[in-house]
Amino acid sequence: MTTLDYDLDDLFAPDVIANPYPLLGHLRESAPVHWNERYQLWVITRYDDLVWLVRHNELFSSAVIRSDQRPPYPPIDPEDTPLAAHVRDFRADQLVEQDRPEHTAMRGAVHAYFTPTAMEKWRPFVRAAVHDLLDQVIDHGEMDVLSSLAAPLPVRVITRMMGVPPEDQDTLRDLADKLLYINRGESYRMKPLMEGIRGMIDYVAPRVDQRRANPGEDFISVLAEAEGRGIFTRHQVLVNTALLLFAGHETTMNLICNGTLALLRHPDQWAALCADPAGRVRVATEECLRYDPPVKSTQRIATADVPLRSQVIKAGDRLRWFIAAANRDPEAFDQPDRFDITRQPNPHVSFGSGMHYCLGATLARVEGQEVFRALAERLPSLRLRPGTLEYQPSIQFRSLKALPVEWDR
Amino acid sequence: MTDAAPKLRILIDHDLCVGNGQCVGLAPDVFRHDENVQSTVIDPAGAPVTIIVQAASYCPTGAIRVENADTGDVLFPPSE
Repeated sequence: MTTLDYDLDDLFAPDVIANPYPLLGHLRESAPVHWNERYQLWVITRYDDLVWLVRHNELFSSAVIRSDQRPPYPPIDPEDTPLAAHVRDFRADQLVEQDRPEHTAMRGAVHAYFTPTAMEKWRPFVRAAVHDLLDQVIDHGEMDVLSSLAAPLPVRVITRMMGVPPEDQDTLRDLADKLLYINRGESYRMKPLMEGIRGMIDYVAPRVDQRRANPGEDFISVLAEAEGRGIFTRHQVLVNTALLLFAGHETTMNLICNGTLALLRHPDQWAALCADPAGRVRVATEECLRYDPPVKSTQRIATADVPLRSQVIKAGDRLRWFIAAANRDPEAFDQPDRFDITRQPNPHVSFGSGMHYCLGATLARVEGQEVFRALAERLPSLRLRPGTLEYQPSIQFRSLKALPVEWDR
Repeated sequence: MTDAAPKLRILIDHDLCVGNGQCVGLAPDVFRHDENVQSTVIDPAGAPVTIIVQAASYCPTGAIRVENADTGDVLFPPSE
């Protein structure tokens, strides 16, 4: 058995932020339903348990923010407690925080916009954006994947989805950076988060009025139309436009950075992708999603006493299910710690499962596939630059702070 | 229109189905969740063809295939 020289409950410990897999693997083997005393929540790490509980939404509510009155963890600066109440009200209206029956109507209103068929139509735009971003750095022989490619790409896509002018990208990028403090560990995080929320509301509100009067094909128009039918309140329209920006930005950034890192750390796999980028990229992207997923964990709150393995999860208990642990479960995946770009089938849970299965999954796939394909086609000599990689102190997201790479010019 | 609605064969890939429930919501007389919260077909004639094809197209993982049972023509997914 693995020995660990740190506290099993300190999910924000620097070693765990840098590499969560030893801790998660240890829990999965020895305590798959583990009560985390420090943060007062259950930690779920086995694949079968995760899939089962996520699909049983009648037992495990998504309305964690609304239902859970405990203070934020890790602790925030005491003077920011009023801000935390505002943040709570904002987040409680996110689609991801809704249960049935409200969720069914809300998701139904936006689902058509995000179907696989609809999202495939974005592929030419994504491909052109990827090549344009690479054109800007290709002569340099080096780049930070995060700031040159992974961060600007989803902002370009979301800017267009919102139906706002391309010159607003910098504004939206700045707001997204502030919204990314959700679920991070810094004690001061409520301040930038609140700035992001206020900025986003100020930005979106007049555009909703405009879309109500003159609907278009964009995502804000979809929400505005649903507001007209009484499915979304105005606050929910504003919150969920912000959710599109935030969720689509952070997760795609992480897919691109974590996937590129995995590919470059496994030169045989990178060479295999470079040998046939168009033919191999779809399956390879699924392995990138599985191996080092953009979202490490998500939360629920129990609605009833639920026995699970040798434990009983009590009504009102919080729990976190770790995608990053389930995706490495040897009961679900052969040689789970091996990065294999030809792995099939690959039933990873990086987009969750059940009624909340990631609305943007196909868009994320398209963005990941187009980036990995373009890198393999245009920069086969791509390699990591020496240095230590750092991750954001988040319990939810697996987010690199930078990913410096270089290539032969 | 005098043509009868075609008889359908609806196939669900349980390696892909994640129990998102779009199909069950759109065509509850055709699709139902089993004990694993995965979709199964209870009646391929339980809704108009257009609704069944829409349900297949709404599947976020592309787990549903719809064929004309007599001719084998694929109604969803569309050929690339």
